[in-house]
Amino acid sequence: MLSLNTLIVASLGYAALLFAIAFWAERRAAAGRIGWLRSPFVYTLSISVYCTGWTFYGAVGSAARNGFEFVTIYLGPTLVFIGWWWLLRKLLRVGRAQRITSIADLISSRYGKSTSLAVLVTLMAVIGSTPYIALQLQSITLSFSVFDTGDNANLTAFWVAAGLAAFTIVFGTRNVDANERHHGVVTAIAVEAIVKLVALLSVGVFVVWGIGGGPAEIFAMADTEMLQFESIFSARWVSLTMLSAMAILTLPRMFQVIVVENADERHLATASWAFPGYLLLISLFVLPIAIAGNALLPAGSNPDLYVLSLPLAQGQNNLALLAFLGGFSAATSMVIIAAIALSTMVSNHIIMPLWLRLNSKKTQTSGDVRTILLRSRRLSIAGILLLGYLYFRLTGGSGALASIGLIAFAGSAQIIPSLLGGLFWRGATRNGAILGLLAGFALWAYTLFLPSFEGAFILSQATLENGPFGLAFLKPSALFGLTGYDPLVHSLFWSMTFNIVLFIIGSLLSSPGPLERIQSSQFVDVFRLDQSTGSYLVSRSATSADLFTLAQRILGTDPAQRLFTEMARQQGKSRGLPDATDKLVQTLERELAGSIGAASAHAMVSQIAGGGTVSVDELMKIADETARIMEYSQQLENQSHRLERTAQELRTANAQLTEMGAQKDAFLSQVSHELRTPMTSIRSFSEILRDTPELGKPDARRFLGIISEESERLTRLLDEILDLSHLESGRGQLLIEPVSIQRAMEKSLNAADVLISEAGVRIENNLGPTPVFVMANFDRLAQVFINLISNTVKYGRGDPSLLKIDLETRDGTAFITLEDNGPGITYANRKKVFEKFSRLSEANLAGSAGLGLPISREIMRNLHGDLQLKTGKKMTKGAVFIVSLPLSEK
Amino acid sequence: MKNPDLGTSTTRKRKLRDSAVLLPVLGAFLLVSPLITIFTGAGTLFGLPLIFIYIFGVWLGLVLAARAMARRLDKG
Repeated sequence: MLSLNTLIVASLGYAALLFAIAFWAERRAAAGRIGWLRSPFVYTLSISVYCTGWTFYGAVGSAARNGFEFVTIYLGPTLVFIGWWWLLRKLLRVGRAQRITSIADLISSRYGKSTSLAVLVTLMAVIGSTPYIALQLQSITLSFSVFDTGDNANLTAFWVAAGLAAFTIVFGTRNVDANERHHGVVTAIAVEAIVKLVALLSVGVFVVWGIGGGPAEIFAMADTEMLQFESIFSARWVSLTMLSAMAILTLPRMFQVIVVENADERHLATASWAFPGYLLLISLFVLPIAIAGNALLPAGSNPDLYVLSLPLAQGQNNLALLAFLGGFSAATSMVIIAAIALSTMVSNHIIMPLWLRLNSKKTQTSGDVRTILLRSRRLSIAGILLLGYLYFRLTGGSGALASIGLIAFAGSAQIIPSLLGGLFWRGATRNGAILGLLAGFALWAYTLFLPSFEGAFILSQATLENGPFGLAFLKPSALFGLTGYDPLVHSLFWSMTFNIVLFIIGSLLSSPGPLERIQSSQFVDVFRLDQSTGSYLVSRSATSADLFTLAQRILGTDPAQRLFTEMARQQGKSRGLPDATDKLVQTLERELAGSIGAASAHAMVSQIAGGGTVSVDELMKIADETARIMEYSQQLENQSHRLERTAQELRTANAQLTEMGAQKDAFLSQVSHELRTPMTSIRSFSEILRDTPELGKPDARRFLGIISEESERLTRLLDEILDLSHLESGRGQLLIEPVSIQRAMEKSLNAADVLISEAGVRIENNLGPTPVFVMANFDRLAQVFINLISNTVKYGRGDPSLLKIDLETRDGTAFITLEDNGPGITYANRKKVFEKFSRLSEANLAGSAGLGLPISREIMRNLHGDLQLKTGKKMTKGAVFIVSLPLSEK
Repeated sequence: MKNPDLGTSTTRKRKLRDSAVLLPVLGAFLLVSPLITIFTGAGTLFGLPLIFIYIFGVWLGLVLAARAMARRLDKG
């Protein structure tokens, strides 16, 4: 049996060794020889702070009681780590970009640097961690008790706590920048990680091959009850795996080593497999040790201490001492890191904001903030360890190790919805996070934490058994009548349900503030954003001298000097202070956040920079982001509309072109046909003249007359075609002047006189004697009239023939109607008459190529008037043409 | 091939990332699903309970797969 003195000497010696290692590492780091201090393996080993005294002793206890269940505590973290690419990488990137100092800082920073959230998470962390720290103290005192020292357990615990406080204060608060790696501490933790692994493996190897004759023999030793694995997969199995997966992300100490102490993001790639490997090794021998302990140790031995009592029972004192040191390592490393993480949170989120509020007037003038910060951090460490010690004293070391650890896990897991929501859901808001956290934490406390005191604290024995005020459905262990589940599963179910539901509903019902909006995109889109865009801050009202003073008091004179010189150099200034630009304010705030947390840094800088609000520029940036998306979709929509319109236009144009092509073809064939007739007669008559010398003179004369007539007709036709194309192209600008309708009509009637009298058409001219002036071209107008008159003479003859000419003026327009009493034009033909070469009947009167009406209409349109045919649906008696022209103002 | 397809390495990288995301899903399926009950019978292998071999075997497999993947992802 080992003597107490040996144990004390060993512990003290080991502690001294840790101090020496930490001191050496600090010195090395200070000298710039960081080297392997920052290697990925040191990082991985430091993460193994997950394996606490609870793991070291309690896992075997758990295996002895519940068989395989203990592995769930390691499977959760294994799954999280092998999925690093998805979650941990993002967490690390955010932590780095935002200079996050703790889990509380992360949550607060994500939800608009909210102080209330920071305080809330800090309080939750402290409440959740206190039993956990007590648990470590308990495991150390228990391990002392195995050696039957007869020592006072409380005294042991007290000295252990004091020693840990000393170590943590010395190495954990050397620097005010929580973002700066604690090289000494991390190195010491890495050494402890190796010690605890070696110790557990040694005990395992000894048990399996030293006591038993190999693994098969050990398993043969197990009583049948232990090997009942049928119930291995259960609600509890799933819950525990999930719980441990959540806890590895949210436990303050885990966040500290994984995110805050991380020196290089690439180390995570190594840790992603090395840490699960470490967990695999450390749990490999847990079951064999438990089996051997159950089989070989006297009944009534504490399963939580098999790791120690088995070697002792076999007289292996040195191995027992190694196991003791392993357990000591596991417990102390957890307490040290937890104390650092919690003290950072408490001092940054509770003490600093209070101090700031109390000294808001003096912030700009009072002394060095660093001293206050360091002092508050040191006091926090002492306070947290004292709290743990008091908890240990009050509960008297009750309960099995594993169950206390699980209670702490469940408490810290309440942060998960806000954390994951914050990392992946842009719409998560501060109100949602606060609601979810409060509900989850309250239910956790009510259904798991407070009942763990077994009626000694707040909830009385009666309440636990019958529910508050005898309301059975509010019974903490069977809330809302949910029974039949393990208390842990029960508590986790209710707390997580309310947590998640309220988080989502709260987020949906509230809208985030400007700063929250910025932070949410900084978190969710961390991989998409350029680092330089950073966080936004405000206001150019600060002077750089004020900011420099602030930086000096928090960062220290030298770092502040360096920062400002660097900034000045970036601004292109060779000396003096940099300008107080937004960028300077942002950089400074980020630097300060590394020391005192985002919320406090924001508060302090805002105090100097004036107002904690977001400037118009920043609002513009947020608006821009939204606007860009909206603009983009708007553009797409517009573009598709425009395309649709263009397509429609193209279709119409195409149809018009096709129609015009057809018209052109028809026109050409008409023209050639029209030209052909006179050409044929000219050719045949001239051939007769040429080939018949005996032709009589009178005949020759008649033939020449025909040739001449036909040539005239040809010329007229060509003239008409030219005229029409001229008019249609709109090239020939007509001279427009006031023209008397009466005179134009008179001239036309005179010109057509022969035609009219030959056909025997009576003209009824109702134009009246007073001249009416219109804006027109005299000759062209006369041409239109002649066309219309000859048209009537040719096609519109009634019996007896009559042509009525009337005039009406209305709305500044003159309407001249020419009405005949001929057969009229059918409704169906009303359009045809204005088409080229369209003679309605086949009766082809000499001299007409059918171009008269189309030409007349073109002329009228060129004169800004119109020519229309008045028709009804029914066949009208006679055709009525209406010529309209604007009246002259004269 | 004369012109190497420039898209191949990007596609390969994307596939690698996808499988990195899927690895924990696979792990959860093997370890936290009713699948595990297949191995909880009374059988033994080399004197060890089947479930012991199964859980630690899958665990080791996951560690090795994660290692292989992490090395490639780290390079890419």
